[in-house]
Order: sequence, then structure tokens, then C-alpha cells
Amino acid sequence: VNDGDFDAIRRLRPDPGDLDDPGDPAVLSRTKEQLMSAIDQNQSQNQSQSRSYGPPTAHDTPDIYPRLAYRDELAAVEYLTRVFGFVEHREARLEFDGNYLCWLRLGTGIVMVGHANTDVHLIHSPLDAGLTTAMLNVYVHDIDAHHATAVAQGAKVTVQLRDAFYGERTYEATDLEGHQWHFGERFEHIKGRGGRPPDPEDA
Amino acid sequence: VEEPSDADAIAASWTDATAFGVIFDRHATRLRRYLVRRLGPDEAEGMLGDVFLIAFERRASYDTTRPSAAPWLYGIATNLVARHRRREFRRLRATARLAARRPAQVDEADSVSGAVDAADRWERVAEAVAALPELERDTMVLAVWEGLSYEDIAIALDIPIGTVRSRLNRARGRLRELAEPVDEGHTEHTAGRDAGRIGS
Repeated sequence: VNDGDFDAIRRLRPDPGDLDDPGDPAVLSRTKEQLMSAIDQNQSQNQSQSRSYGPPTAHDTPDIYPRLAYRDELAAVEYLTRVFGFVEHREARLEFDGNYLCWLRLGTGIVMVGHANTDVHLIHSPLDAGLTTAMLNVYVHDIDAHHATAVAQGAKVTVQLRDAFYGERTYEATDLEGHQWHFGERFEHIKGRGGRPPDPEDA
Repeated sequence: VEEPSDADAIAASWTDATAFGVIFDRHATRLRRYLVRRLGPDEAEGMLGDVFLIAFERRASYDTTRPSAAPWLYGIATNLVARHRRREFRRLRATARLAARRPAQVDEADSVSGAVDAADRWERVAEAVAALPELERDTMVLAVWEGLSYEDIAIALDIPIGTVRSRLNRARGRLRELAEPVDEGHTEHTAGRDAGRIGS
């Protein structure tokens, strides 16, 4: 476009070397490293799961998915991805009135994470409510590895890892604002992947 | 030996995911610059990786008759920017301050209006940009800041070329209404000034 009408706009354009952009060359190598490791992870997830998820459109969002309320929703996203292995669908992130709505997936499930909204949606952070009234149940591919990562990342485990009588190896944890999480893997699945044999006696 | 095209690399990445690295190597600098322009360096850093990861996840739908992936990547980046309007407006304000600090061109140096005026006038241009409907702003930025052809913008935004043209025409008309030309050093406010206030 070579156009006098847009001349002022073109000259408004910030260019490399403008004062506020250090143009750190390490950004590119760092970003590439993270990208390739994310690609790698993405590949292995797709191989280990029967179904993989694209954007959370009406078409492939599960028919039921919870929206969780936090005082600090971005801290929650950081925590849930780092500690519990959720993957944020970054393309879906919405900024609205300075708050964010984020979509996180794990396996075939999706949770929405948003700001506590006491006026319209009537949902509270457990920090403000003073108690928690629901638990999120999540099946994972390798509960032992999931548990190890969560503990290493500082998860507050409320029920220790155990082989429960109902046929699952499970543990429970509370997140940074008090939402309650139950992670589990069915015994048959553990056997199928050749994991440590279940021993429900010590449940 | 010819370098494989972007389309070749993307097709190769269907079976060998690491082949996608080439796409990053070729386009990351340009896409980062675009994100910095629109959202600022801090937000750009986090989002750059997202652009390429989303591209990777969608690579099966890439039209391999298109040798360059640049328009496709611009489209993904533009969608991400669209979800951060507030930050974009903040960035536009900062952009106006940067423009005002840049050495004045000859015609401006001759103008009686001084540096304070320049800051005011750039702010008005930025406000006019912020006041454009977002689809027009996206189209104009890709054309004027990024130098994409109409064809490439049509691919990036997944719209017909005629729509690219009409959006640019509408943007042109609105900008004429909303902002005074920066070169002429007018000090009177146009009627559109208040309508164009950032963040309104």
C-alpha cells in the first residue's frame, strides 16, 4: 500500500531500535527451545491418548465442563499448568475488563478458569467463600508420574496416593485458592501400561 | 539443491514433528516484530511461542499449495492480538509517545509547533487508530505496518480480496475524519477527536 492517507499511520509504526524494545536475541532461541519441547510433548500426548483436542469450540468441548473462580486467575493458570500438568489453550484466552478467561485441558477434559464473579455468575473463590463445595475428578495417563511431578512442584496433597477399593489409584490435592482436585487412574489402565501393580489392601 | 519451501517443511512435519523448527527459524523474527508493534515487547515474548505452537497444532489444515507460511502465521498472530484489546490500546498510547520522541522530519522541524504539539498530534493519530473497528484496524496494520500484499492479507484474515480493499477504504475514510494529518501541524481539534479517545 503506497498511500498518502496512511502516511501518518506508517510513521506511527514502532520499529526495532525504538527505545522500549531491547530486541533481545536470546528471546528467539529461548522461545524456540520452549516451542520444540512443547511440540515434543504435544506429540507424545497425542500418541498416549485416544483423542486430542483442538480449539474449545462448541463442537469439541465436552458437554459438561466447569468454570472455576479465582481471585488471581493468571496465577491459577500458572499453577495448574506447572503443578498438575494442564495445558492452556492460549488461543482461546480472553481479556475482558482487565480480567481473563482461560481454557485449560488435560486429556479429553476442559476447565475454564476465570476471575471470581460475585455479581453476575455468582461464583466465588474458595478463599473468599471460606469453604469448598465441589471436587474436580481427573483421570490421568500415569498417576505415579503425575503425583511425583505435583509433589515436586509443591502441591498441597490432602489425601495421599493410594490404591482405593473401587479400583483406582488416586490422590487428592488442594490448589492455590482451595479448589479441590482428585486425580486417578484405573487399575486396568495401570496394568495395561505395565505400571507398579495395584495393591488395594493398603487402601 | 533448493531449500524446501515452507509448504514442504510443514508437510514433512506431519510425520517428523521436528521439521517444523524451520518454520520458526524463517519467520520468528518477523512475527516477533509484529507482536512487539501491536502489544509491546513483554507480551510479544510470551505470545510468539503460542503463535508457532498453534500453527503446529493446525499444520494438517495448512494449504500446501501456498509456498510461504508468512500470511498464515500473521493470521494466527492477529487472532491472538484480537483477544487483548485493552493491552493493544495501552500499546498504541505508548506507540504515540515513541513516535513523538523520534527525530522530527524536515517538514516538522520547520513547523512552528514544537515538541509538545508533536506529542499531542501523535496521540491523536494513535487514538484514531484505536477508534477504528477492529477488523479495519487489523487489515490496515497488516497492509501499512507489515507491508503485506492484498492477497496475503486475504489469506491471513481468511477473507476475499475485495473485503481487504473495502476495509482499507473504510479505514481511510474514518481516519480522515478522526485524525488531522500529522505533517501540517494543525492545532484545532477535529470533531472526531473525542470519538477516537483510546479506551473509550
